[in-house]
Amino acid sequence: MLEALSAEALKMRGHKATWFLVWLFPIAFTIIMVMMIGAGLFGFEAPDQPKPADWIENTTMIWFVPNNAVGRYLISAFVAVMFAGEYGWNTWKLIVPHRRRASLIAAKYALTLLLFAISFFLTALLLIVLNFADDALTGDKVPAGLTAALLWDTHSKAALAAVAPVLVAVAYASVAAILTRSTIAALVIAIVATTIEQIVVGFGPQLYTKFPSIVWPLYHGLPGHHIANLAEFIREGEGLKRGFPGGRIVDLSWTTSLAILVAWIAALWGATFAAFRRQDIN
Amino acid sequence: MNTAAGSIPPSEFMDPGIRRDDANAPVLELAGLSKTYGRRGGGVRAVRDVTLSVGPGEVYGFLGPNGAGKSTTIRMLIGLIAPTSGEARLFGEDLRSHPAVLNRVGSLVDGGNFYPFLSGRRNLEVLAKTQGRGADRIDGLLDQVGLARDSKRKVKGYSTGMRQRLGVAAALLGDPDLVILDEPVNGLDVAGIQEMRALIRSLAVDHGKTVFLSSHLLHEVQQVCDRVAIISKGEIVRESSIAELLRQDDGLRIEAVPVEVAEAALASRWAVERDGDALVVRATRAEAPEVVRRLVGAGADLFRLAPEQRNLEEVFLSITQPEADDA
Repeated sequence: MLEALSAEALKMRGHKATWFLVWLFPIAFTIIMVMMIGAGLFGFEAPDQPKPADWIENTTMIWFVPNNAVGRYLISAFVAVMFAGEYGWNTWKLIVPHRRRASLIAAKYALTLLLFAISFFLTALLLIVLNFADDALTGDKVPAGLTAALLWDTHSKAALAAVAPVLVAVAYASVAAILTRSTIAALVIAIVATTIEQIVVGFGPQLYTKFPSIVWPLYHGLPGHHIANLAEFIREGEGLKRGFPGGRIVDLSWTTSLAILVAWIAALWGATFAAFRRQDIN
Repeated sequence: MNTAAGSIPPSEFMDPGIRRDDANAPVLELAGLSKTYGRRGGGVRAVRDVTLSVGPGEVYGFLGPNGAGKSTTIRMLIGLIAPTSGEARLFGEDLRSHPAVLNRVGSLVDGGNFYPFLSGRRNLEVLAKTQGRGADRIDGLLDQVGLARDSKRKVKGYSTGMRQRLGVAAALLGDPDLVILDEPVNGLDVAGIQEMRALIRSLAVDHGKTVFLSSHLLHEVQQVCDRVAIISKGEIVRESSIAELLRQDDGLRIEAVPVEVAEAALASRWAVERDGDALVVRATRAEAPEVVRRLVGAGADLFRLAPEQRNLEEVFLSITQPEADDA
């Protein structure tokens, strides 16, 4: 397995699109931070004295990317390239005879998650450094009470809350890539699935008034609410209560949400392995 | 070339009592291998009941027109496609239950497919890592296939012939016991074809490897293969050694006058065909004196008598062309 992972890493190291998607987040957030520092330096932003929690919150933006639809689209694009690229290059024929198919897919999952972890941790680190730089350059004082322990606690909770949406986004795009054998088709399917999920979770109560019998099970069954509910439990210690017309409230335990998310991820990842294992590579 | 390794009768294929550690045990065995695409009712049968056996050290040619099922068979052999029915055994192991046996197989399919954004060398490094091997053989192989100078160039800039040669290097990377080459001379120039021919011979003669190759260049196959199977419309229509295949169509070409007298003198004993002013008599070389006696006895004047031996291309066309015409 380690050999397959090592081969996968060696291969993707030379692929510009992969690296673009890895570097996209650190570069994008650095640009945003530099613009904010610039705004502070040229007087477009009033000096402020945020509380430690607010100061840290500014450095955790990257961990909210997977909870956001656009962030999920970018993750899907990366996964589509990782998994469907081999069909485009016609290179499964080169490597499939030499490794169990399951280990090739496992290596793709492992490298994908590893690269996301590198990208997100690097971005979080950059945001912390740039926030300190912002304070130093603009004359803002670093808030009293800001400690490494508090920084670690907030970031680790935010990172943990980002795990489920990343895994779900990876699951959508990977199974679509293996089934369609096309990067574009995989991306389109993943975007459609993500969008439907986000619409249901975002506009559930409004849609419920028109299609109650469809929206209610979808709201409970799709991953969207469970991702938000789990994130709320991790960050705030209590779940998300969502009111629906007629006085109905969705108030689920974290174990229920975790179980449903695990079922989704296991089913979609399992389908990816199973589809690839049975697939004819012509 | 090792011509001693003969065909293993397919009937032995399923016998569990056969010793598989025998030096002459088949390297590759296919029994009733079939592949149908699509649903059973309206499915397309790409390969039907292919049964053959390749012995150690043999160079085995797999011939057939386009769409005959060569590539599908080869893909089943290296685990890219699952057979609908039948069995593929490599080194005595069932491929489905022992896929690790493919570690002893090197293959070149579709002219070599590589990561276009990586150099030739880096592609081989990726493959070596995938196989769990070191990179120590890479430089030697690149040198052997004539790509040492271009090894650091990205594959997307390679010509078809260069990709083909890189494909051969990839097939040999794991020092395999069985080398499967799908159209190995495609895209090569004349010098490249000669080099490839020498390489294939060397694999068998100098290194004792077994080579299974498909090709549409029959002249090349005739020069390098010990045995061939001809596949048409998904079925094996002929399997034999090259010599036997050509001998089956032996005959004598005769120029004698009057041609009608000569034909009448010979037709009572052998099948005789007219070919312009000449006659083609389905008689063996050993029967030539008897042919001469009959012609002289009948009063015909004999001007020329020569063995009529068709080349592999003619034999191939005679076997596959009628079906192609039907299609």
